[in-house]
Formats: sequence, structure tokens, C-alpha cells
Amino acid sequence: MSDLFGISVTALQAFQQAINVTSNNIANASTPGYDDESINLSEAIPQVDGSATIGSGVAVTGITRAYSQAASNQLTTSQSTLGQLTALQSYTSQIDNLVGTTGGGLSTALTNYYSAWSNVANDPTSTASRQALLNAAQGVTTSLQSTASQLNTLSSNVNSSITADVTQINSLASTISTLNQQILVTQGESGGQAPNELLDQRDQAVSTLSGLVGVTTTTSSDGSLNVFVGNGQPLVVDSVVTKLSTVPDQYNASQLDVASSAAGGNSIDSELTSGDLGGQLAARTQAINPALNQLGQIATAISTSANTQQSAGVDLSGAIGTAIFSSPTPTAVPSSLNTGTATASVAITNVGALTTNDYVLTYKAGAYSLQATDGTAVPLTGTGTAANPLTADGISITITGTPANGDTFLVQPTATTASNLSVVLTDPSKLAAASAITASAASTNTGTATISTGTVTDPGNAALTTPASIVFATPTTYSINGGTVQTLAANGVITSPNGWEVQISGTPAAGDTFNVGPNTNGSGDNRNALIAAAQQTTGVLDDATTSTTGAVSALITGIGSQAAQINTAQTAQTAVNTTATNNVASISGVNLDEEAANLLKWQQAYQASAQALSIGNSLFTTLIDSVNGTYT
Amino acid sequence: MRITESLNQNQFLSSIGALEASISQTQNEISTNSSFTDPAQNPVAAGEVNDFSQTLAQSQQFETNANSAKTNLSTEDSALSSVQTTLQSLRDLALEATSGTESSSNLSAIATQVTQIQNSLLSLANTQNGNGEYIFSGYATQTQPFTLTSTGATYNGDTGQRQIQVAVGQTVADGDNGDAVFNQIPTGNGTFTVTAGTGNTGSGVIGATTVSNAATYAGQSFSIVFTSPTAYNIENPAGTVETTGTYTSGDTIAYGGTQVTLSGTPDTNDTFEVAPSTKQSLFTTVQNLVTALNQGVSGANGQVTLSNAVSTAINNIDQALNQASNVQSSVGGRLNTITTQLSVGSSTQLQLQSSISSLQGLNYAAAITTLDQQNTTLSAALQAYTVTQGLTLFKYLS
Repeated sequence: MSDLFGISVTALQAFQQAINVTSNNIANASTPGYDDESINLSEAIPQVDGSATIGSGVAVTGITRAYSQAASNQLTTSQSTLGQLTALQSYTSQIDNLVGTTGGGLSTALTNYYSAWSNVANDPTSTASRQALLNAAQGVTTSLQSTASQLNTLSSNVNSSITADVTQINSLASTISTLNQQILVTQGESGGQAPNELLDQRDQAVSTLSGLVGVTTTTSSDGSLNVFVGNGQPLVVDSVVTKLSTVPDQYNASQLDVASSAAGGNSIDSELTSGDLGGQLAARTQAINPALNQLGQIATAISTSANTQQSAGVDLSGAIGTAIFSSPTPTAVPSSLNTGTATASVAITNVGALTTNDYVLTYKAGAYSLQATDGTAVPLTGTGTAANPLTADGISITITGTPANGDTFLVQPTATTASNLSVVLTDPSKLAAASAITASAASTNTGTATISTGTVTDPGNAALTTPASIVFATPTTYSINGGTVQTLAANGVITSPNGWEVQISGTPAAGDTFNVGPNTNGSGDNRNALIAAAQQTTGVLDDATTSTTGAVSALITGIGSQAAQINTAQTAQTAVNTTATNNVASISGVNLDEEAANLLKWQQAYQASAQALSIGNSLFTTLIDSVNGTYT
Repeated sequence: MRITESLNQNQFLSSIGALEASISQTQNEISTNSSFTDPAQNPVAAGEVNDFSQTLAQSQQFETNANSAKTNLSTEDSALSSVQTTLQSLRDLALEATSGTESSSNLSAIATQVTQIQNSLLSLANTQNGNGEYIFSGYATQTQPFTLTSTGATYNGDTGQRQIQVAVGQTVADGDNGDAVFNQIPTGNGTFTVTAGTGNTGSGVIGATTVSNAATYAGQSFSIVFTSPTAYNIENPAGTVETTGTYTSGDTIAYGGTQVTLSGTPDTNDTFEVAPSTKQSLFTTVQNLVTALNQGVSGANGQVTLSNAVSTAINNIDQALNQASNVQSSVGGRLNTITTQLSVGSSTQLQLQSSISSLQGLNYAAAITTLDQQNTTLSAALQAYTVTQGLTLFKYLS
């Protein structure tokens, strides 16, 4: 009889627990990170009663959460990748928007600038056209500066996001370490039963962490979870947290890097390739800095072509033109880790060979080597002295001081050009619309030959405007300023080492003289302005194959392609992540219909057990009444 | 698959989010009338549109350039027409002076008129355009090109000729320098000149001069020296007699590919020099004419000297007319080029605009249909969610 009560009581207790588990499931149906729990029931140990063994009720052996390590790992990985792509996408699409379909207004500004040169060519003496040109040049620098300053703002956003990420990562690491300890204690107290709620919380912390930074996890034999970032940098081992920190970049103190004390406090940026943190770092190296460099390359091309052309011409007063634009000196920053005393200075020597790369210059074993920041080695010539500078990709680097072995420098030929390009010419009359030289035939000539007005082949040549007198000794031979007698080329072109050339047409007579010299009175001359206006389509970049306006189109397509590619990757990863999330939700989520059915099931089982107890009670009463004789 | 609460909500939220994003995108396309609003939507087309826009802007600039050149060339064209009219009246005056019936005082009155014409020519040669630039001074457009001197005029400009870009690789000169128009004018008949010797005493007057055989004429100089009123020697510059001939008034003397008609009766030892043309300024020609007219017909041989001088002047005026007319037809040719380029330019612009709109323009019908579909899908999704949310066993437990 006592068995009957005992069995019923185990059942009542078990079903009450089962109803509790179900209620708990219903209560947490919408709790993030909650895993559906189910009660494990088993038969109680049977009792041998004479010839038969009779069951002794039901036992609760534990409460299990619906959890799949594989599904959870898949979700963690996919969240890291998604975190990286989402962060990167937020930058690429912002850059895409600010560059837009006109290169941040640069395209329009350049059109106005070259049109303004054409208008000066149409009417070189008009101060209004000249002033309009200076305004248009200002428009070009304003547009470059505005785009560059927005990119620099994005770069500071990266810094603040990195700081916020690192703070949150450290806080999650502490949470995981605390949970590790609590789980150990609780497990001990409950005799090895899994503390499901703590496990859920720890899993949820790892899941949130994986969105911030790519993690790998291992579980110790005691159930503690160990978390590593990057290439195995420890974050949580048992209850020990190794915090991440932010440090100024070794070359650029305004950029923050992520460091770990496990890596000697050095930057571990290169190891962090996923999660929001990885996305922030990638945005800086793959999107923001390249866009700044590309703009800088275009700015350099605009400024160099305009300034060179100025030096091939003369202004309204007949003086050789001075620079329109001032572009900043390219930078070579020594690493903060350098131990030598060397400093480096960089100059742009060939715009056509200029790339959009940044470079790391390394001094090792007595020799210099140059690497683009993507890791490609760049051939380097020269020794680094002023007389024989190191040259590569259109730049020359001069080293002063003594480098120590292993010293490095970050060389940035174009990074700051777009931000700092300015118009330095303020007087419209100083625009060199006229060519620096002019040529004329002496009035005493008797031959039929005429001379072209001449073109400048070497702008900036010191002797460009030195007067030259070409005297023909015979119709086919001549000497310049009484120098060596030379034979006239078949096409009649005479090239001077002073940086100009003229063409003789017709037949000169012996003694005929042609004079080439400074264009002192050419206020109506537009030869130089014509060339400046034609620079709209003249190749200057990429070995003189890409014009400045072509480079803007390439910038637009390049930025757009990158944004499109990241958008596509992000969309695809979102789908992957949705699948992984759904997979986990399908395994671990709460289905209310199931719970309702379970509720009914346990309720009925409870009612039935209570009924069994009631029957036991009436059996017992019957027995007592019989014994007491009250049973009649 | 086991459907759970969280799965249901995840799926609903992500699909609603995606639908709302695509509706916003379509709305943006419609409101900007553009199939892409940032390069990421179509990177290659965005780059091409930028290229095309640059080319379009350049073509529009060429149109501005062409119109600027057109204005300057029209100014020059009308100046050159006036130059020709003026030269024509100068020629008429010169002819009047050689009628042989004019007295010295009449000639002096003609000289006054010629001087006035010279001033008109000077002012035409110093024509300025609307911007105040001298159109005949080459590059030195702020320098007055011609100033009169006692022997003609000085040219203060240079030999530059401003080019204007009217198409890729095509420039058109928007003017001509005064040196080429007014100074570099061949003398005589354009090939050679005949001048009467300064010591001539006879009445020999130079008539028509022509090149009879261009192949034979090699630019040599020679003198016709009369040994008697009816006989002459042809002498080379060294004084060697090359050939001899006989002469009666009105005869044509032919030598070395040239033909010179003389009339009147030269005296013995009268000479006529034949030399290759040189270049002479129109203003020198006019000044020489004024000087000859002012000398009048005084003296024994005055009429003959005047006739020969005026005949030389008329030849030179004809050459100047020829020059002005050549330059004017070159200006006309340039104006034609500009007109052609303007029409080519406008069809290029049309083509570019249509390329841009086919790359970037929006197909409204398609966009609105898409928007409609997206709206339908979104409202269906919202409805489906509310319907499935109501489906729970708890609803039936009571």
C-alpha cells in the first residue's frame, strides 16, 4: 500500500516539475539566447516483491536544454563574417554616396576648370575670364577638400568604433570569465547537473562577442570555456581575462590600432579579420585610405599639369607663369619603433608612374627595401643619398641621418594631397595664357621661308627665353647664335637645347635670319591656354594614358564596384546567417503549440496520478473500516 | 523543420526589412528619375556616364569657342571687305591721275584724297574687336599694330595667329596678323617688277608685264638698255649684253620667260630694270603714290615719271587687293569650318545626351510596376504574419 502512495507521490512531484519546465519554456519563449528545456524522466528503481519486480514510480534525472554545439558554432562563425561585412559595408556605402555619380562634385569642378581655360584661350586679355578660371581652380580644390574631409571623418569614426568595440569585447570577456566560475560552482553544488541558465547566458555572451570579433573557443575538462581572438591570442582562459587595448599606430598617431598584452602590447590588427572590429580595420585599409590616395593621385595630376604648363608660358606682364596650385609634400613617417636617427623625405618625380599605394620602407642588413602596404615588393633603385635617391613608382626618397637595422618608414605619396591642395595664384593677370617664346623672321630676309611661332618642349628650362638667332648659311644649313653649323631636318623642325622648337617652312636664302625669344608683348597669345584647356583629355596618369577626368571616372567606377561587391557579399552573408540563426532557432527555440500540448499532457498525467493517490486512499479506508468492524 | 517562436519572428523581421529596403530603393529611383543614384548600383555605367558627361561638357565648350572665333572672324571679314572697297577707290583715283590731262594742282588734290584713303586704310588695319583687341596685331592684341611714318607705316604687332579649339584636334585661327595682310604684299605683277631708270629722259612708259613662260623664268634680274630709240640691249646685272632687239612704241619685249610692254619713245641710254618681286607694305605703296602725285607733272619728263610711278602703284594696289581677297576667302573657309563643326557638335551632343539617358535614365513603366509588386508583396507578408500569429493552441485551451 505504501508503494502505491510512493509511486503516486513520485509521479505528482515529477509532473509538477514537468509543468514547471513547460511554464518556464513559455515564459522564455521570446528571451534571446534561451534554449528550450525538456525534463528527463525515467523509471524509478524497481522493488522485488516476491516473485515479481514492481516499478516504484518515476524519477526526474535532469533537465536538458535543446542545444547543438555544431549549429551554435556555425552561427558564431557566420556572425563574425557578417559583423565584418556589415561594418565594412557601412563605410563602403557611405563612401559610395559621398563620391556619388560625380566624384563628390570633382567631375563638375574639373569640367568648369577646363572650360574656364578654354574661355581664357578665347579671350586671353579678359580679366573676367581669368578671374573665372581662378574661381574654377578654387572649385576643384574645394571639391577635393570636401570629399577628403568627409573621408577623414569616416577615419575618425573608425577610431571611435574601435574604442567602443574593444570596451565591449573586454566587458564580454569578463562576463564569460565570471560565468565560467559560476558554472563550476553551481555544477559542484548540484552534483554535476548542468546549470542550463548559466550555460545559455555564456553562449549568448560568446554569440554577441562573435559579432564583434572573430573568436575560437575550446572547452576545458571542467567545463570552462576558453576564448581566443585573432591567431590564437587568448582573451579568456578559465577565469583569466587578457584584455585588448587600443594603441596609436606606429606611423600615424591619429589612427588607433588594437593591441593585446599577450602580444607584448603590440598591434594585432593584421590578425583581426572578422567581426565588427575586423570590419572597422578593413574599412580603414581597404576603403577609406585607398579612396584618399586615389583622390590624392588625381589632385597631384591636376596640380602638376597646371603648374608645369604655367612654367611654359608667360602672364599678361610677360613674366614666366608661377604655380596655380600648391600641393603638400608627400610624407615619409618613421615608425615609433625605430631606434635609428634617420629621417626620410619624399618627392614626386614622375606623375605618370605614381600609384595609389602607400609603402613601407625597411632598412635591413645595410639595404633598403620597399613594400606596398598590400605586401607586394616594389623594385627600388638608388642608395638614398641626395645625389642618388631611392626611386620607385614615380617617387624619390632621400634619407638623412643613420638608420638602425630593422627601422621602417611609412611612405605616403598621395595620402594628404586631396585634403591640402590649395590655389596659391590670386592675381588673374598672372595666369600664363601666352607661350613663353615667340619666333619671327628678320625683315631683311630674302628667301621664301617662314617660321612657326614656336612651341615649348621643356617647361621650366632656365634658358627657355634666352634670345636665339637662327642664321642660315645656305638654304639647308644653319647655326644658332653663331654655334655649330647644323643641317636643317627634312620636316624643317629646329629643336633647341633651351627647351623649345620651331618649324621652318619654305626655302630660306643664305644669310636669312630668324629670331626666337621671349614673348614680351603677347597679351593676345593663347597658345599656352589652349594646351591647358586640352589637358581635360590629355593623358597624365598611368604612364600618361589616363587624363584627370578619366581618373575621376575610374574613381567612380572603382568605388562603386567595391561598394557593390561588399553589398553583394553582405547580402549573401546575411542569407547564410539567417539560415544559421534559423537552424539554431529551430533546434533551441520554444514552440508554443508544443508547450500547450505538453501542458495538457503533464496536467492530465498529474490528474491521473492524483486520482491513483485518491484510489490508494479509498483502498486504505476500506481496509481500516473492515478491520474496525465498522464495515457492515 | 521545427518552427519555433524565435524562428518565426526572425524570418518575419528579416523579410519585412528586405522588402522595405527594396521599396525605398525603387521610390528613390522614381523620385530622382535615375536608374542608379549611387555608383554601387551600376559601377560601370556610372563611370561611363561620367565620361560621357565630360565629353558633352567639352563639346558644349567647343561650341562656345567656335562662336567666339566666329565673332572675331566676322569682324575681320567686314574689315577686309572695307579694305577692298577702299583699295578699289584708291585704284580709281590712281587711274584718274594717269589720264594725262590732270594739272599739277589737280594732282595735288588727288594726292590729298589719296592721303585720306591712306588714313582710312590705317584705321581699318587698326580695327579693334568688341573686347578692345586689335585684330591685326598677331598676339600683341593690346598694341596698336600700325603707325604712319614718312615712308609708309611701322608694324608694331607680331606674326602670331591665335588658334581656337573647335573640336578635338581641330583648331581654327580667329584672325590674321597685319604683317601678312598689309605688309607682305608682293610688288609688281606678283612675280617681277619693272621700273623705269631714274635718269630716263625719253617718253618710254611701262605697260602690261606678264610671265610668258613660268618654266623659263628663274627669278633673274636684267636691264633693258636702249642703244637708240628703236634698239635695245638686254644686260645682266654685271653689264654683259645677253641679247639685243629692235623696238617700236607698243612693242612687247620678251626675255627669259618675261614679257614687258613699253610705249612711247625712249631716249638712248634710257633703261628699264626687271627684278624679282619683293614684299612691300601697302602703306609704302600708298605713300609712294602720294609722293609721286605731289611731285606733279613739272619738268621735262614729269608726265612720263608720273605715269611710270602710278603704273607701279596700280600694280601694287592690285596685289594688295589680291592679298585682301585671298585672306578674306581664307576667313570665309574658316567660317565654313566653324559652321560645319557647330552642326557636327550639336549632333554629337544629341548623341551623348541620348547615350547618357539610356545608361542612366529610368524606365518609369517598369519602375512603377516594380513598386506595385513590392507593395503587394509587403502587404501580403504583413497579412500572412498576423494570420499565422493567431494560430496557437492556447487559443483553444480554456
